[in-house]
Amino acid sequence: MRINVRTTLRAVLLASAAFACFNLASPVRAADEMTPERLLNAEKEAGNWLHHHKNYSGTRFSTLKEINKDNVKNLKVAWTMHLGGVEGGGIWSHGGLEGTPIVENGMIYVTDGWGSVYKIDARGGKGQMVWKMDPKTDHDWAGAIACCGVDNRGVALWGNLVVSHTLDGRLIATNKETGQVAWQRQVADPDKGEVITGAPLIVKNMAISGVAGAEYGIRGWIAATDLTTQKEVWRTHTIPAKGEPGSETWKDSNDAAAAGGGSTWVTGTYDPSTDTIIWGVGNPGPDWDNAYRPGDNLYTDSSLALDANTGKIKWHYQHTPNDPYDYDSVAENVLVDVPTPNGQTQKLALEADRNGFAYAIDRTNGKFLWGLPFVKKVTWTKGLDPETGKPIEYDPKNPVQRYNASVTPHRENKIADICPGNMGGKNWPPTSYNPDLKLWYIPVIESCNRITVEEATKDKLKAREFWTGGGPSQPFKITGSVTAIDVTTGKIAGKMETPFPNLGGMLSTPDLVFTGQPSGEVMALDAKTLQKLWEFNTGGGVNAPPVTFSVDGKQYVAILVGLGGAWDKWFIESTPELKKIQPGSMLYVFAL
Amino acid sequence: MKFSAITSTVALAFVIVSSSLASAQSAAPADPTDAGKAVFKRANCVGCHKWHGNGGGGYGGDALSLRKTELDRQHIIETVTCGRPGTGMPYFARGSYDTTKCYEMSRQDVGERMPPEGGTFLRPNDIEAVADYVLAHIKGRGEPTYDECTAFFGNTSRVCDIYKANATQPASEPSK
Repeated sequence: MRINVRTTLRAVLLASAAFACFNLASPVRAADEMTPERLLNAEKEAGNWLHHHKNYSGTRFSTLKEINKDNVKNLKVAWTMHLGGVEGGGIWSHGGLEGTPIVENGMIYVTDGWGSVYKIDARGGKGQMVWKMDPKTDHDWAGAIACCGVDNRGVALWGNLVVSHTLDGRLIATNKETGQVAWQRQVADPDKGEVITGAPLIVKNMAISGVAGAEYGIRGWIAATDLTTQKEVWRTHTIPAKGEPGSETWKDSNDAAAAGGGSTWVTGTYDPSTDTIIWGVGNPGPDWDNAYRPGDNLYTDSSLALDANTGKIKWHYQHTPNDPYDYDSVAENVLVDVPTPNGQTQKLALEADRNGFAYAIDRTNGKFLWGLPFVKKVTWTKGLDPETGKPIEYDPKNPVQRYNASVTPHRENKIADICPGNMGGKNWPPTSYNPDLKLWYIPVIESCNRITVEEATKDKLKAREFWTGGGPSQPFKITGSVTAIDVTTGKIAGKMETPFPNLGGMLSTPDLVFTGQPSGEVMALDAKTLQKLWEFNTGGGVNAPPVTFSVDGKQYVAILVGLGGAWDKWFIESTPELKKIQPGSMLYVFAL
Repeated sequence: MKFSAITSTVALAFVIVSSSLASAQSAAPADPTDAGKAVFKRANCVGCHKWHGNGGGGYGGDALSLRKTELDRQHIIETVTCGRPGTGMPYFARGSYDTTKCYEMSRQDVGERMPPEGGTFLRPNDIEAVADYVLAHIKGRGEPTYDECTAFFGNTSRVCDIYKANATQPASEPSK
């Protein structure tokens, strides 16, 4: 009895002591309020990783160099943290991790595929879960129409809120200290085939959201929500309405534009000097039957520049007009300033497209500057026109483009092998840019695959059903590489080939590049030579990009590990060795 | 305070769960093909054929429509047991093409046309149950309905809402 009472008393005392400690640590410090100024000056907080792409320019470059090419061989696991969200739903047997961690003053914020947000305290050389916000995503509603996996790519910070999306189309603001949902708003409509997988981009007091669903007959958009009023500020459709500029590029009599695709599921970038948001736009639908939608199909497969206050389109650059390949252009545009020999500065937007070409566009006006293939094999076109950057075979007078007709899928060529495959030379995994070396690192899928065309007819267009005009299969082995481009010359500076496609993306530091493989390895490469200097096998599949941060004056590298996404459902036959990789959900943190 | 609130929530949840279980047990006689529906979910038939069985062209190929299928019970059982050589339809019985020939072929005979292995192996009575479920609830049906959808998913998800109004809404609002 007595012992029992004492034990209970001690437990109560311990618990209240712990509670007191928690209370002491938890009040919001002014420095932890995320302000527009801090977001604009994210580079001044070298130890933090405040934006999805590290900064508004999207470079994913950190100046931290405690870990460098001389000592990276000593990099070791500092701690790990198991996460959840592996369960399936809809057409998916399991979820995966594709997120970029956000790090602020020793606190890490990550998501799992179903949109749960985790706050982890990384101080003191160890990881401790602070809270988990489970949005209770409607698995069947969303999972049945997620073309490419149970995915969520991370959070953003604003005020004292953690801002995130869910697959079932919500924008959620969570109190940073308590983990309680402050408010939420339905932004996308899964009843129309819309889901959200990307992280929000915060610009001033707005959260910018993109949408997925170009395989389900959506009409894509980018939307801005005022975080103070929780109301929509603007929504710009990526496919113009009838009568709007660009609507003349949909020449069919099917009203194809109404279900024309143009998704926006990768977080864009922002140029504060011109108050311009630059965002990539996905493929047209039906994906592989371009005769259903004659015309260039603007603004699919384009980079779009939007006025941040109004959402109005300032310029566009389209990469693959009347696309018959599923070569979307959702990829991030990296905003880079490069000095020219005559003392000018080129203001570039860099994009590595699914179609296998890397593009540099003048981001002040949307004009093509240079482009080159970054994959080993391109068959769909003989190359880009050096003036316009359009594929050489592109003829604006042709309503239906055939490009290199012998390999292009179309109604008279129903089985066609294309390179890159439809997953693209680079998919969503982000690139990184080292401003000192002027090198741009692309996570590459070196691929070909087979497209089978099925003629689309209007009666096949149904809410929440695939609208693809065919489908891919995988008769060819697919590998990968890290390919570096020197942006001062527009030439390839190096290529480090990998046994598997790069499904995770890149991080660069002054003299290193970090990336991973879906077979489990996280690796560090020499930034100049791409020579591998360090590798660790996580035992899972890397499907997310690494980040770096410092806490208590010590540098760490963090990466989410858990193979999910499109690959292990749709493309696994091209990499049969990856069938043995198990689903998982884990955060790895490395340090010297 | 906080702890006791959590405790009572848990207790309440337990009461709700147990009472709903009880009511489920005392409800109308169970559909004899419920076991087959469970197999349809567990073996991830949904992953390609969808809940409604219509399958369809899509990102990963073209699962045949079970609503329009002309296969009889024996053929469905054979297809689930052996998969379909040269397609993405997996085989779901342990030992197919190895200890038991399929379509009179061994693994060696079928060669490169060997179908993929199902994510779950099913026992013969599971395969019969799923065939019976397909025959009773999917084969020969027209457009999917709200009632069919809620019979499959229950009503805790919004997945069936689009079938409420009418079955053929356009996927997106027409552009103006």
